Amino acid sequence: MADPRLTGPSLDPAARQVIGTYLAELADHLGGPAAARAAILAELEDGLWSATAAHQAGELSPEEAARAAVAEFGGPPTVAAGFGPELAAVTGRRVGLGLLATGPLVGSSWLLVAAATWTWAGREPPAALGLVAGLVGLVLVVAVPAAMVAVAVSGRLSRWLPAGPRVAATAAATAASACVVGDLVLLTGMLATTVLAGGMAWPAGVVAAGVSGVRLSLAGRAARRCLAARATLP
Amino acid sequence: MRAEVLKGHLDGLLLAALEAGPLHGYAVMEALRTGSGGRVDLPTGTVYPALHRLERAGLVRSRWSTEGGRRRRSYELTPAGSRALAGERSSWREFSGAVSALLEGRPWPTPA
Repeated sequence: MADPRLTGPSLDPAARQVIGTYLAELADHLGGPAAARAAILAELEDGLWSATAAHQAGELSPEEAARAAVAEFGGPPTVAAGFGPELAAVTGRRVGLGLLATGPLVGSSWLLVAAATWTWAGREPPAALGLVAGLVGLVLVVAVPAAMVAVAVSGRLSRWLPAGPRVAATAAATAASACVVGDLVLLTGMLATTVLAGGMAWPAGVVAAGVSGVRLSLAGRAARRCLAARATLP
Repeated sequence: MRAEVLKGHLDGLLLAALEAGPLHGYAVMEALRTGSGGRVDLPTGTVYPALHRLERAGLVRSRWSTEGGRRRRSYELTPAGSRALAGERSSWREFSGAVSALLEGRPWPTPA
Protein backbone atom coordinates (compact mmCIF):
# COMPACT_ATOMS: atom_id res chain seq x y z
CA MET A 1 0.00 0.00 0.00
CA ALA A 2 1.30 3.44 -0.89
CA ASP A 3 2.48 5.70 1.89
CA PRO A 4 -0.29 8.35 2.14
CA ARG A 5 2.34 10.95 2.98
CA LEU A 6 3.70 10.62 -0.53
CA THR A 7 0.65 11.90 -2.35
CA GLY A 8 0.17 15.48 -1.13
CA PRO A 9 3.06 17.97 -1.28
CA SER A 10 4.75 16.43 -4.32
CA LEU A 11 1.82 17.76 -6.42
CA ASP A 12 2.55 21.35 -5.38
CA PRO A 13 4.52 23.24 -8.10
CA ALA A 14 6.32 25.53 -5.63
CA ALA A 15 7.41 22.57 -3.51
CA ARG A 16 8.55 20.73 -6.65
CA GLN A 17 10.58 23.79 -7.63
CA VAL A 18 12.34 23.90 -4.24
CA ILE A 19 13.24 20.23 -4.29
CA GLY A 20 14.14 20.24 -7.99
CA THR A 21 16.56 23.13 -7.48
CA TYR A 22 18.16 21.39 -4.52
CA LEU A 23 18.62 18.14 -6.43
CA ALA A 24 20.06 19.97 -9.45
CA GLU A 25 22.63 21.66 -7.24
CA LEU A 26 23.43 18.37 -5.55
CA ALA A 27 23.89 16.70 -8.96
CA ASP A 28 26.48 19.35 -9.82
CA HIS A 29 28.50 18.40 -6.76
CA LEU A 30 28.33 14.60 -7.12
CA GLY A 31 31.11 12.77 -8.96
CA GLY A 32 31.45 9.09 -9.79
CA PRO A 33 29.67 6.83 -12.27
CA ALA A 34 26.47 8.24 -13.82
CA ALA A 35 24.34 5.28 -12.68
CA ALA A 36 25.50 5.64 -9.08
CA ARG A 37 24.81 9.39 -9.15
CA ALA A 38 21.33 8.84 -10.60
CA ALA A 39 20.55 6.26 -7.90
CA ILE A 40 21.67 8.66 -5.14
CA LEU A 41 19.56 11.48 -6.55
CA ALA A 42 16.48 9.24 -6.85
CA GLU A 43 16.95 8.00 -3.30
CA LEU A 44 17.40 11.49 -1.87
CA GLU A 45 14.42 12.82 -3.83
CA ASP A 46 12.25 10.20 -2.14
CA GLY A 47 13.77 11.14 1.21
CA LEU A 48 13.13 14.84 0.60
CA TRP A 49 9.48 14.23 -0.22
CA SER A 50 9.11 12.07 2.89
CA ALA A 51 10.67 14.88 4.94
CA THR A 52 8.40 17.43 3.22
CA ALA A 53 5.33 15.38 4.12
CA ALA A 54 6.54 15.13 7.72
CA HIS A 55 7.04 18.91 7.93
CA GLN A 56 3.68 19.59 6.28
CA ALA A 57 2.03 17.60 9.04
CA GLY A 58 3.26 20.44 11.30
CA GLU A 59 0.90 22.89 9.58
CA LEU A 60 3.40 24.29 7.08
CA SER A 61 2.42 25.04 3.47
CA PRO A 62 3.83 22.60 0.88
CA GLU A 63 6.48 25.14 -0.19
CA GLU A 64 7.47 25.93 3.41
CA ALA A 65 7.57 22.20 4.18
CA ALA A 66 9.81 21.59 1.16
CA ARG A 67 12.13 24.40 2.29
CA ALA A 68 12.23 22.87 5.78
CA ALA A 69 13.05 19.46 4.27
CA VAL A 70 15.87 20.93 2.19
CA ALA A 71 17.24 22.70 5.26
CA GLU A 72 17.01 19.46 7.25
CA PHE A 73 18.99 17.57 4.60
CA GLY A 74 21.82 20.12 4.65
CA GLY A 75 23.70 21.99 1.94
CA PRO A 76 24.33 20.12 -1.33
CA PRO A 77 28.15 20.45 -1.03
CA THR A 78 28.04 18.88 2.45
CA VAL A 79 25.74 16.04 1.39
CA ALA A 80 27.80 15.41 -1.75
CA ALA A 81 30.98 15.32 0.35
CA GLY A 82 29.36 12.65 2.53
CA PHE A 83 28.87 10.47 -0.54
CA GLY A 84 32.46 11.08 -1.74
CA PRO A 85 33.98 7.96 -0.14
CA GLU A 86 31.17 5.71 -1.41
CA LEU A 87 31.42 7.09 -4.94
CA ALA A 88 35.20 6.66 -4.86
CA ALA A 89 34.76 3.04 -3.75
CA VAL A 90 32.17 2.37 -6.47
CA THR A 91 34.43 3.96 -9.09
CA GLY A 92 37.43 1.93 -7.96
CA ARG A 93 35.42 -1.28 -7.90
CA ARG A 94 33.98 -0.81 -11.39
CA VAL A 95 37.36 0.06 -12.86
CA GLY A 96 39.01 -2.91 -11.12
CA LEU A 97 36.35 -5.34 -12.32
CA GLY A 98 36.45 -3.89 -15.83
CA LEU A 99 40.21 -4.28 -16.08
CA LEU A 100 40.14 -7.83 -14.72
CA ALA A 101 37.42 -8.71 -17.24
CA THR A 102 39.07 -7.14 -20.30
CA GLY A 103 42.65 -8.18 -19.51
CA PRO A 104 42.29 -11.77 -20.78
CA LEU A 105 40.62 -10.51 -23.98
CA VAL A 106 43.51 -8.15 -24.73
CA GLY A 107 46.11 -10.77 -23.83
CA SER A 108 44.55 -13.55 -25.87
CA SER A 109 44.13 -11.34 -28.94
CA TRP A 110 47.87 -10.55 -28.93
CA LEU A 111 48.76 -14.20 -28.26
CA LEU A 112 46.74 -15.03 -31.36
CA VAL A 113 48.79 -12.51 -33.36
CA ALA A 114 52.04 -14.06 -32.09
CA ALA A 115 50.85 -17.57 -32.84
CA ALA A 116 49.67 -16.67 -36.35
CA THR A 117 52.85 -14.74 -37.13
CA TRP A 118 55.44 -17.20 -35.85
CA THR A 119 54.23 -20.47 -34.35
CA TRP A 120 51.71 -21.47 -37.01
CA ALA A 121 53.96 -20.07 -39.78
CA GLY A 122 56.85 -22.22 -38.50
CA ARG A 123 59.11 -19.20 -38.08
CA GLU A 124 61.52 -18.28 -35.30
CA PRO A 125 60.36 -15.20 -33.27
CA PRO A 126 62.86 -12.31 -33.08
CA ALA A 127 64.74 -11.53 -29.87
CA ALA A 128 62.82 -8.26 -29.54
CA LEU A 129 59.69 -10.27 -28.82
CA GLY A 130 61.27 -11.38 -25.55
CA LEU A 131 61.72 -7.75 -24.53
CA VAL A 132 58.06 -6.97 -25.32
CA ALA A 133 56.94 -10.04 -23.37
CA GLY A 134 59.11 -9.02 -20.42
CA LEU A 135 57.67 -5.51 -20.33
CA VAL A 136 54.12 -6.85 -20.56
CA GLY A 137 54.93 -9.25 -17.72
CA LEU A 138 56.07 -6.32 -15.57
CA VAL A 139 52.83 -4.49 -16.33
CA LEU A 140 50.81 -7.55 -15.33
CA VAL A 141 52.72 -7.85 -12.04
CA VAL A 142 51.51 -4.34 -11.18
CA ALA A 143 48.08 -4.25 -12.85
CA VAL A 144 46.55 -7.56 -11.75
CA PRO A 145 47.25 -7.28 -8.00
CA ALA A 146 46.26 -3.59 -8.03
CA ALA A 147 42.93 -4.37 -9.73
CA MET A 148 42.32 -7.22 -7.27
CA VAL A 149 43.02 -4.92 -4.33
CA ALA A 150 40.58 -2.34 -5.75
CA VAL A 151 37.86 -4.97 -6.02
CA ALA A 152 38.60 -6.56 -2.64
CA VAL A 153 38.59 -3.41 -0.51
CA SER A 154 35.44 -2.05 -2.15
CA GLY A 155 33.28 -5.14 -1.75
CA ARG A 156 32.21 -7.50 1.00
CA LEU A 157 35.76 -7.97 2.18
CA SER A 158 35.67 -4.31 3.29
CA ARG A 159 34.05 -5.69 6.46
CA TRP A 160 37.39 -7.14 7.50
CA LEU A 161 39.95 -5.17 5.51
CA PRO A 162 41.15 -1.96 7.12
CA ALA A 163 41.64 -0.23 3.73
CA GLY A 164 38.92 2.09 2.52
CA PRO A 165 37.71 3.98 -0.56
CA ARG A 166 40.98 5.89 -0.91
CA VAL A 167 42.89 2.63 -1.34
CA ALA A 168 40.26 1.33 -3.79
CA ALA A 169 40.53 4.44 -5.96
CA THR A 170 44.33 4.52 -5.76
CA ALA A 171 44.67 0.82 -6.59
CA ALA A 172 42.25 1.12 -9.50
CA ALA A 173 44.09 4.19 -10.84
CA THR A 174 47.37 2.27 -10.58
CA ALA A 175 45.92 -0.74 -12.40
CA ALA A 176 44.40 1.44 -15.13
CA SER A 177 47.65 3.37 -15.60
CA ALA A 178 49.58 0.11 -15.83
CA CYS A 179 47.14 -1.09 -18.49
CA VAL A 180 47.71 2.09 -20.48
CA VAL A 181 51.46 1.38 -20.40
CA GLY A 182 50.82 -2.27 -21.28
CA ASP A 183 48.65 -1.38 -24.26
CA LEU A 184 51.21 1.12 -25.50
CA VAL A 185 53.93 -1.55 -25.23
CA LEU A 186 51.76 -4.06 -27.07
CA LEU A 187 50.70 -1.65 -29.79
CA THR A 188 54.17 -0.33 -30.52
CA GLY A 189 56.27 -3.38 -29.64
CA MET A 190 54.16 -6.15 -31.11
CA LEU A 191 53.19 -4.26 -34.24
CA ALA A 192 56.79 -3.18 -34.88
CA THR A 193 58.13 -6.69 -34.21
CA THR A 194 55.62 -8.45 -36.39
CA VAL A 195 55.79 -5.94 -39.25
CA LEU A 196 59.60 -5.97 -39.20
CA ALA A 197 59.48 -9.76 -39.22
CA GLY A 198 57.64 -9.38 -42.49
CA GLY A 199 54.96 -11.84 -41.63
CA MET A 200 52.27 -9.95 -39.76
CA ALA A 201 49.01 -11.89 -39.65
CA TRP A 202 46.96 -8.83 -40.59
CA PRO A 203 43.42 -9.87 -39.63
CA ALA A 204 44.54 -10.95 -36.16
CA GLY A 205 46.83 -7.91 -35.89
CA VAL A 206 44.05 -5.47 -36.76
CA VAL A 207 41.70 -7.07 -34.23
CA ALA A 208 44.36 -7.04 -31.48
CA ALA A 209 45.34 -3.45 -32.23
CA GLY A 210 41.67 -2.44 -32.16
CA VAL A 211 41.04 -4.21 -28.85
CA SER A 212 44.17 -2.70 -27.29
CA GLY A 213 43.38 0.76 -28.69
CA VAL A 214 39.90 0.75 -27.18
CA ARG A 215 41.17 -0.58 -23.84
CA LEU A 216 43.96 2.01 -23.79
CA SER A 217 41.47 4.83 -24.27
CA LEU A 218 39.05 3.48 -21.65
CA ALA A 219 41.83 2.72 -19.16
CA GLY A 220 43.22 6.24 -19.55
CA ARG A 221 39.83 7.76 -18.80
CA ALA A 222 39.28 5.32 -15.92
CA ALA A 223 42.60 6.29 -14.34
CA ARG A 224 41.66 9.98 -14.50
CA ARG A 225 38.21 9.25 -12.98
CA CYS A 226 39.75 7.30 -10.11
CA LEU A 227 42.25 10.05 -9.38
CA ALA A 228 39.45 12.64 -9.51
CA ALA A 229 37.35 10.55 -7.10
CA ARG A 230 40.31 10.18 -4.76
CA ALA A 231 40.93 13.93 -4.85
CA THR A 232 37.45 14.59 -3.42
CA LEU A 233 38.16 12.55 -0.28
CA PRO A 234 39.00 14.37 2.96
CA MET B 1 24.24 14.58 20.00
CA ARG B 2 26.74 15.29 17.24
CA ALA B 3 27.73 12.71 14.63
CA GLU B 4 31.37 12.80 15.82
CA VAL B 5 30.29 11.69 19.30
CA LEU B 6 28.66 8.63 17.77
CA LYS B 7 31.63 7.76 15.61
CA GLY B 8 32.36 4.10 16.03
CA HIS B 9 28.76 3.31 16.94
CA LEU B 10 27.06 4.49 13.75
CA ASP B 11 26.99 1.06 12.10
CA GLY B 12 25.44 -0.54 15.18
CA LEU B 13 22.78 2.18 15.41
CA LEU B 14 21.83 1.79 11.74
CA LEU B 15 21.71 -2.00 11.99
CA ALA B 16 19.56 -1.73 15.12
CA ALA B 17 17.16 0.66 13.33
CA LEU B 18 16.70 -1.94 10.60
CA GLU B 19 16.24 -4.87 12.96
CA ALA B 20 12.45 -4.57 13.06
CA GLY B 21 12.12 -4.62 9.28
CA PRO B 22 12.96 -2.82 6.04
CA LEU B 23 13.14 0.99 6.10
CA HIS B 24 14.04 3.66 3.57
CA GLY B 25 16.81 6.15 4.32
CA TYR B 26 14.68 8.94 5.73
CA ALA B 27 12.71 6.46 7.84
CA VAL B 28 16.02 5.27 9.32
CA MET B 29 16.86 8.87 10.25
CA GLU B 30 13.40 9.28 11.81
CA ALA B 31 13.70 5.97 13.68
CA LEU B 32 17.00 7.09 15.23
CA ARG B 33 15.54 10.48 16.14
CA THR B 34 12.34 9.06 17.59
CA GLY B 35 14.03 6.14 19.37
CA SER B 36 16.48 8.47 21.11
CA GLY B 37 13.96 11.16 22.04
CA GLY B 38 15.59 13.48 19.49
CA ARG B 39 19.11 13.09 20.87
CA VAL B 40 20.46 11.10 17.92
CA ASP B 41 19.79 13.40 14.97
CA LEU B 42 22.26 12.36 12.30
CA PRO B 43 22.67 14.36 9.10
CA THR B 44 21.70 13.09 5.65
CA GLY B 45 25.31 13.19 4.49
CA THR B 46 26.13 10.67 7.23
CA VAL B 47 23.17 8.27 7.22
CA TYR B 48 22.65 7.63 3.51
CA PRO B 49 26.35 7.05 2.66
CA ALA B 50 26.67 4.81 5.72
CA LEU B 51 23.75 2.68 4.50
CA HIS B 52 25.49 2.36 1.12
CA ARG B 53 28.70 1.34 2.88
CA LEU B 54 26.87 -1.28 4.93
CA GLU B 55 25.34 -2.65 1.75
CA ARG B 56 28.76 -2.82 0.09
CA ALA B 57 29.98 -4.77 3.11
CA GLY B 58 27.05 -7.19 2.80
CA LEU B 59 25.51 -6.24 6.16
CA VAL B 60 22.32 -4.82 4.62
CA ARG B 61 20.68 -5.24 1.24
CA SER B 62 18.54 -2.72 -0.59
CA ARG B 63 15.53 -3.08 -2.82
CA TRP B 64 13.95 -0.50 -5.11
CA SER B 65 10.20 -0.15 -5.29
CA THR B 66 7.76 2.44 -6.60
CA GLU B 67 5.70 4.31 -4.01
CA GLY B 68 3.33 7.12 -4.98
CA GLY B 69 4.94 7.30 -8.42
CA ARG B 70 8.46 7.70 -7.03
CA ARG B 71 11.33 5.25 -6.80
CA ARG B 72 12.08 4.26 -3.24
CA ARG B 73 15.09 2.38 -1.93
CA SER B 74 14.53 0.33 1.21
CA TYR B 75 17.16 -1.41 3.30
CA GLU B 76 16.97 -4.59 5.33
CA LEU B 77 19.39 -6.62 7.42
CA THR B 78 21.18 -9.60 5.92
CA PRO B 79 22.07 -12.62 8.09
CA ALA B 80 25.62 -11.20 8.30
CA GLY B 81 24.09 -7.87 9.40
CA SER B 82 22.14 -9.59 12.17
CA ARG B 83 25.34 -11.26 13.39
CA ALA B 84 27.20 -7.95 13.22
CA LEU B 85 24.41 -6.29 15.25
CA ALA B 86 24.72 -8.96 17.95
CA GLY B 87 28.47 -8.30 18.05
CA GLU B 88 27.92 -4.52 18.27
CA ARG B 89 25.51 -5.02 21.18
CA SER B 90 27.94 -7.23 23.04
CA SER B 91 30.83 -4.78 22.52
CA TRP B 92 28.66 -1.87 23.61
CA ARG B 93 27.56 -3.61 26.84
CA GLU B 94 31.16 -4.31 27.73
CA PHE B 95 32.33 -0.80 26.80
CA SER B 96 29.49 1.04 28.54
CA GLY B 97 29.78 -1.19 31.61
CA ALA B 98 33.49 -0.50 31.93
CA VAL B 99 33.11 3.28 31.38
CA SER B 100 30.18 3.49 33.83
CA ALA B 101 32.24 1.62 36.41
CA LEU B 102 35.13 4.02 35.94
CA LEU B 103 32.94 7.14 36.08
CA GLU B 104 31.08 5.93 39.16
CA GLY B 105 34.13 4.54 40.95
CA ARG B 106 32.86 0.94 40.93
CA PRO B 107 35.03 -2.12 40.27
CA TRP B 108 34.74 -3.72 36.83
CA PRO B 109 33.90 -6.42 36.10
CA THR B 110 31.44 -6.64 38.96
CA PRO B 111 32.72 -9.17 41.55
CA ALA B 112 30.59 -12.32 41.64
